[in-house]
Amino acid sequence: MSILYDEGQQAIATESRRVLEARMNKDELLPLLEMTGRYHEGFWNTAKEQGWTALALPEEYGGLALGLVELGLIAHQAGRTLSGAPFLTSGFGCAKAIELYGSDEQKTRWLPALASGEIVGVVAFASGSDPLPAYPAIRFADGRISGRAAGVTGGLVADIAVVYAMGSLGPVLVVAELSDVERSAIGGFDNSRCYAHLGFTDIPAQPLAIDGAAREAALHILSLQAVITAHEQTGGAEAMMEIARDYALTRRAFGQVIGAFQSVKHRIAELYGLVELARANCIHAASREGKDDFIIAAAAARLSATEAYDTAARDCIQIHGGIGVTWEIGLHLHMRRARSLAIEQGNGLFWEDILVDRLTGEAA
Amino acid sequence: MSDLEAYRARAATWLESMVPAFGKAARKGLSEADDLALARRYQAAKFEAGYAGINWPVEYGGQGLGHLEKVTFDSEEMKHGFPNAYFGISLGMPVPILMQFGEDKAFVKERVLKALRGEEIWCQLFSEPAGGSDLAGLRTKAEPDGNGWKINGQKVWTSWAQYSDYGVIVVRTDPNVPKHKGLTYFWVDMKAPGVTVRPIRLAGGDSHVNEVFFDDVKVDDDHRMSPVGGGFAVAMATLMIERYVATDSGGFGPHLDLFVALAWDINLNGKPAIDDGRIRQQIARNYAMRNGLNSITARAMAMMQAGMVPGPEGSLNKLVSVRSRQKLSELAIDLQGNDGFAFDDHASQKEDWTSSWINAPTGRIAGGADEMLLNTIAEKILGLPQDHRPDKGVPFNQIPA
Repeated sequence: MSILYDEGQQAIATESRRVLEARMNKDELLPLLEMTGRYHEGFWNTAKEQGWTALALPEEYGGLALGLVELGLIAHQAGRTLSGAPFLTSGFGCAKAIELYGSDEQKTRWLPALASGEIVGVVAFASGSDPLPAYPAIRFADGRISGRAAGVTGGLVADIAVVYAMGSLGPVLVVAELSDVERSAIGGFDNSRCYAHLGFTDIPAQPLAIDGAAREAALHILSLQAVITAHEQTGGAEAMMEIARDYALTRRAFGQVIGAFQSVKHRIAELYGLVELARANCIHAASREGKDDFIIAAAAARLSATEAYDTAARDCIQIHGGIGVTWEIGLHLHMRRARSLAIEQGNGLFWEDILVDRLTGEAA
Repeated sequence: MSDLEAYRARAATWLESMVPAFGKAARKGLSEADDLALARRYQAAKFEAGYAGINWPVEYGGQGLGHLEKVTFDSEEMKHGFPNAYFGISLGMPVPILMQFGEDKAFVKERVLKALRGEEIWCQLFSEPAGGSDLAGLRTKAEPDGNGWKINGQKVWTSWAQYSDYGVIVVRTDPNVPKHKGLTYFWVDMKAPGVTVRPIRLAGGDSHVNEVFFDDVKVDDDHRMSPVGGGFAVAMATLMIERYVATDSGGFGPHLDLFVALAWDINLNGKPAIDDGRIRQQIARNYAMRNGLNSITARAMAMMQAGMVPGPEGSLNKLVSVRSRQKLSELAIDLQGNDGFAFDDHASQKEDWTSSWINAPTGRIAGGADEMLLNTIAEKILGLPQDHRPDKGVPFNQIPA
């Protein structure tokens, strides 16, 4: 059953929107595209100061004990204004892995620092193009990991990582400090995401989940993150739709505003449909945490949100014409972000398979 | 269990008990005349059981309940293939509008009761050959005639007119003013002299819609349901009556489970089609879309239960679901290769992919074409401007043909 937001949740949405709209602007984000290893510090400081890093973590470890619904609402607003750093989602995934699968000692050691934002956490599950490989490329033996984690979101600046690695009996989920890790920056199209390849050479790592449980644990973490990312994508798509609408109401051609042409107004109406389907799937997925169909709901949210953001970014630029492709107007910030978020936490092809496997009983 | 869930459970139990007499199996092979007779008995049974006019006033024979109970019952009823289509328009729009705008209360009450029991059927005479989406461009005219009016012209796409006893109609009473301002709303006796109904066969082979001709059809002035020249507002009210109706994220076509079953059955390149990436992608995409619509509907229901007004996103349902159904049906036929040539024109659109496919275009046009729905979203929700309308403000008889 889908939920209606209560007053507290609506307040979270309103307040996070107010704060982010006041503090984020494209002129500070554009230069970050041309630097590696830099993120928007104002965004990350805001996230810490507002308690967003602590939002969905347990109270006993410094968290606020709220959940996917609330963090999703903040991610939606962050998506609207373009989040300046990826750590809210990456840190959430890292912390949830420790909370759900770690020992009391591990929780005490890491969760308070993740909740306060004092340290940055990431997850490293993928091997190359495979978001969750049957045979992870990183090896785990004798309490140490070795190998290369490719394209880790936030990897350039993270302090700890939850890593999906290959143990002697199969995949394992481990947590490792990154102070002695070799990081190579990826010069990419969306550099504030701080993507890096991480080279592990005999780095100490503690198991969280082992044997048969590791893959399921990793998929669960990925699903939790996917729901948050889907909210962020929906927020971005909504912003693109609104910007397209506002432009179509002011820009004139052939003696009328271009929004009066059906080729333009129908395109924007189609965006509305994609945004609302994505939003509905997000609300539904956030309310299904802990239920049997959670992964199905997460996959549906992820697929519809990716489609909404890609399409909205593409069409918003098209509706703007020439001005839309200039560096200065910054619409390309969303176009870039739509693609980077489409890949983080598993691409569309991955989630299509996850969804169909579950619908057809093949995953059981 | 909430009151609504208890209501749903009771309705589901009652509907189950009706399956042997009125369900799909009972209807199989019946002529349309026999099916209609069965449908009238089913409607009477609904009335006796308190499931007719669920959200209508008690004084008119309704149950006095809310939209929620109505939508809940309809969602359950939809599962069984009962013969209720003949009354869908009648009870959906013309009869409620008669309750709202009919002047002679005793007459109205008699008509409403007979319609609720399935004894009388009403049709809605709006669309014309020259105007479907452009309703206000209609040409059928009513001229003063003695103490009443005389109607001449033609309507089209009138569902179930061939079985209708009465209809509501919008006609032009003044061609000298702009098009929206010269219309008047009446009810008509479909058995009156000068009314001719001619069924139209649709692409799928069935004939539930009709052309209706009016040749000097006389109506008294007490048939008038709007001020003279005030018919457009009542027409809009008619179209707005069922704002929250039972929806089907499958676009009133087959459930996605049936597509998955088909993909298991059929081999592609020596493997079950369910293992083929192209098929899997369509299953995943359609699931995500339908799940989104279901979530929108569930939220709208929850909002109504909480006494709130649901958001405008409910208007996406028909637009999104029917055109996806159309494409998925094409793929399902494709998947069957040469086995896909067969066609049973009595098969159910909800169970048979070919029937779903051939009738899908009707779904995308009837009750608001996709393009009109997009216009509505753009204009009413997003605040984008109306299209350029050269006929705006121009007297009807001066609009270039």
